[in-house]
Amino acid sequence: MENELINLKNNALSLILEAEDEKELEEIKLQFLGRSGKLTQAIRKLPKIDIEKRKELGVLANEVKETIEASVDEKKKQLKKGILMSKIRKIDVTNPGIKPQIGHLHLVTQAISEITSIFEKIGFVRVRYPEVEWDWYAFEALNFPKDHPARDDWETFFIDGASHKKYGPMLLTPHTSSGQIREMSNAVKSSVSGEISPIKMLNIAKCYRRQSDVSHTPMFHQFEGLAIDKNLSIVNLKGVLDYFVKSYFGEKRVSRIRPYHFEFTEPSFEVDVSCGVCNGQGCSLCKDGWLELGGAGMVHPNVLKNTGIDPDKFNGFAFGWGVERALMMKDGLEIDDLRLIYSNKLEFLEQF
Amino acid sequence: MAQVLEVKIGYSPEKIRRRLEESGIRSLNSVVDVTNYVMREVGHPSHVFDFDLLSTRKMDIRQSRPGETLTTLDGKKYRLTGGDIVAVDDNGEIIDLLGVMGTANSVVQENTKRIIFFLDNNNPKFIRRSSMSLGIRTEAAIINEKGIDPELMKDAFKRGIKLFEEIAEGKVISDSIDIYPNKSKKGHVTVSEDKISSVIGIDINSEKSADILRKLGFEVKIKNGKLDTKVPTLRPDVTTEEDIIEEVARIFGYHKLPSIIPSFLTNKTGTFADRFYFEKKSKNFFKYLGFTEIYNYSLVSEDLFDGPVDRAIKLKNPLSEDMMYLRNSLVPSLLTSVDENKGHDEIKIFEMSGVYEKRQGDLPKEILMLAGVVKRHDVSFFEVKGIIEALTLDLGIKKINFNKRSKSPGSDIYIDGKFLGYIEVLDGETINFELNFEEILNYANNKKTYKKLAKYPPIFEDITFVLDTSVLTEDVINEILNKSFLIKNVTLKDRFSNSRTFHITYQAEDRSLSSKDVFEIHKKIVDSIGEKFAAKVK
Repeated sequence: MENELINLKNNALSLILEAEDEKELEEIKLQFLGRSGKLTQAIRKLPKIDIEKRKELGVLANEVKETIEASVDEKKKQLKKGILMSKIRKIDVTNPGIKPQIGHLHLVTQAISEITSIFEKIGFVRVRYPEVEWDWYAFEALNFPKDHPARDDWETFFIDGASHKKYGPMLLTPHTSSGQIREMSNAVKSSVSGEISPIKMLNIAKCYRRQSDVSHTPMFHQFEGLAIDKNLSIVNLKGVLDYFVKSYFGEKRVSRIRPYHFEFTEPSFEVDVSCGVCNGQGCSLCKDGWLELGGAGMVHPNVLKNTGIDPDKFNGFAFGWGVERALMMKDGLEIDDLRLIYSNKLEFLEQF
Repeated sequence: MAQVLEVKIGYSPEKIRRRLEESGIRSLNSVVDVTNYVMREVGHPSHVFDFDLLSTRKMDIRQSRPGETLTTLDGKKYRLTGGDIVAVDDNGEIIDLLGVMGTANSVVQENTKRIIFFLDNNNPKFIRRSSMSLGIRTEAAIINEKGIDPELMKDAFKRGIKLFEEIAEGKVISDSIDIYPNKSKKGHVTVSEDKISSVIGIDINSEKSADILRKLGFEVKIKNGKLDTKVPTLRPDVTTEEDIIEEVARIFGYHKLPSIIPSFLTNKTGTFADRFYFEKKSKNFFKYLGFTEIYNYSLVSEDLFDGPVDRAIKLKNPLSEDMMYLRNSLVPSLLTSVDENKGHDEIKIFEMSGVYEKRQGDLPKEILMLAGVVKRHDVSFFEVKGIIEALTLDLGIKKINFNKRSKSPGSDIYIDGKFLGYIEVLDGETINFELNFEEILNYANNKKTYKKLAKYPPIFEDITFVLDTSVLTEDVINEILNKSFLIKNVTLKDRFSNSRTFHITYQAEDRSLSSKDVFEIHKKIVDSIGEKFAAKVK
């Protein structure tokens, strides 16, 4: 009897293993477990067995029954999976995917992220200072003469209202350089016996100038670097410029500095980057192979003095460039009208 | 300086015409061409009057008075506001707007026979003001407003006379006048060899520096490692050691200098999860939820200012009425952006930017805000609320509260009892929100807390109550949570007309709960909710 049960089980399992579809499985199940199935019939014989052996065989019979049922279920699942997989094998993988809807960060945000990461790697720390500023921070302390054109009503936005007794009129800062004065003044405030902590500042902010045309928007963004320590040199400034140009624009691009004039740096430079479209050969975009990135220079001793730093002990360099400009120069992104960046047309914003 | 000449007007020689055109100046006639050619060659602008058009023999140079008028040589009439530098004849008529543009009443024409060749050098501030306020941007004005070395005038004058003689049959018929009240002086700067090398970043010896400076017209003496220099008058910009260093460096060649990144670091610490980190994280959060980022101008019109404009920070010199005030809310501009994209079935946009709050006698408070708009035909308040809840949770903020908003349909949002922002339901398809990001930054953190994984399984139960619509779900949840420390969580699972189903999680840390444990708590809940909110179990 015991052998019979085990044989039945083995027999059933091998049939189940070879079954090819669900219908066949149902037949196998019926053949063993149905009302006149082989196992059912074997079980019917149980009452005739000796009582001592009966209990043991009963347990075995039950086990056989459960094993067969479980194997049938398992095989059914396998078959279903097989059908599914054979369907999957036939799909056209070139049909479109079901994309989750993802939005877009503004071009300026993307550029700011990249610029920040690049400068952070060489120890610059990002800061933010007021956009609405006093004349002192935006001009006076930066060594601008009283009658400098940038200080008149045609170039800078002024706020309607009374001037500060010490800091002069209130205005919208036309450049991130006002952050230089804030940063250095803060360093002096927290200095210990005339020794300031060295500065490596990255100030990225909105700036405002009173102009609007295809290449100017009244609001734009600048990023400003300032390094102050002992014995910094033009060689160091060039080091940072080259590093940024290669990191941001690509290894193939090179930078150069040209003599220029700014009130708050001496010597002052204009920084050019080789054109990415023609690789510096000269083309319709760049004319002579170079694109102008912006200004830089060694911090003017008067500026250091104005913030309370001793120019005989400390010096440094600074640079301030347009985020939008850097962006447009990067991949030859030829946006024909800069104002488009702030027009908020989704057709434009969703391209990036 | 000035002198009267007899001339014969004609065309300039080919060489002069071509050179002028190639430098961006149109060739007109031999006399006018001389003034422009001298400006290009020497760098000092000059002017010519038709001597016979002047009705008197006296020229007074003074500041203009408000209301005086003139007609420039291109025929345009201007009314002056005062403070322009003008030349006036004996009758009080303006015959030149100095440094900017000549006037029609004294302009040289084809039949001009006698001219005054006239060079003036004025305070650049006045030239700038006249040129900008009248909108006359001539090349002379652009050069004059930057300031020119008066010492250049002699060369320009001599060269001009010579050119008139050469190409316009010029003949001097008067003495020359030279009025020179404020003479340029030669500056004096001393700088050490060490300083030069230190600022440039490579060693450059005194001999090399002196050689460069002498070629630029400086007089240089070397004494004990120091350069003693006399600055040519042409260079009034050179007044400090740094100016001298610039001259040496630029002639030495910037391209010959190596590039070395300075290796020092600042002493600033703890800057990883700073405000910029959380700003970026939040922007990315919205991006990956399908929002597109907008940058609007901070300057808005009266319409886009939220509230009465007497509270606004106003520009003194706006470009236009559309950009007159600094905004105090991002939402009005964002709604304009929605209008500008009408063709879209669904719009999800956001902006993170500063707003400006007026303060008496101080700079305005600049507050970073985070705002957004969702527009879709079936948008719901809870969709937007869910986004804000998920955002704050992602920034490590455990709890924010929502209260019904009295101003408009929607909700005010609080954090730790402080106002954080609001959600506003504008109509059936547009919902906006605005959050004070500075407040968020006060609470945002990256803190990780670990809760021991449960050893014993939880038991879940759903209880449905029939509740009046005035009963707040939050109050019911808090009441349920209060009933036993074995209740680990309560959420609203479903709502249908007047019934609400709460999903309750029971769990103990030290044993498996029995159905008897749960039944006792269940009874407490039902009794308490029934009593407090007049609710029935469904």
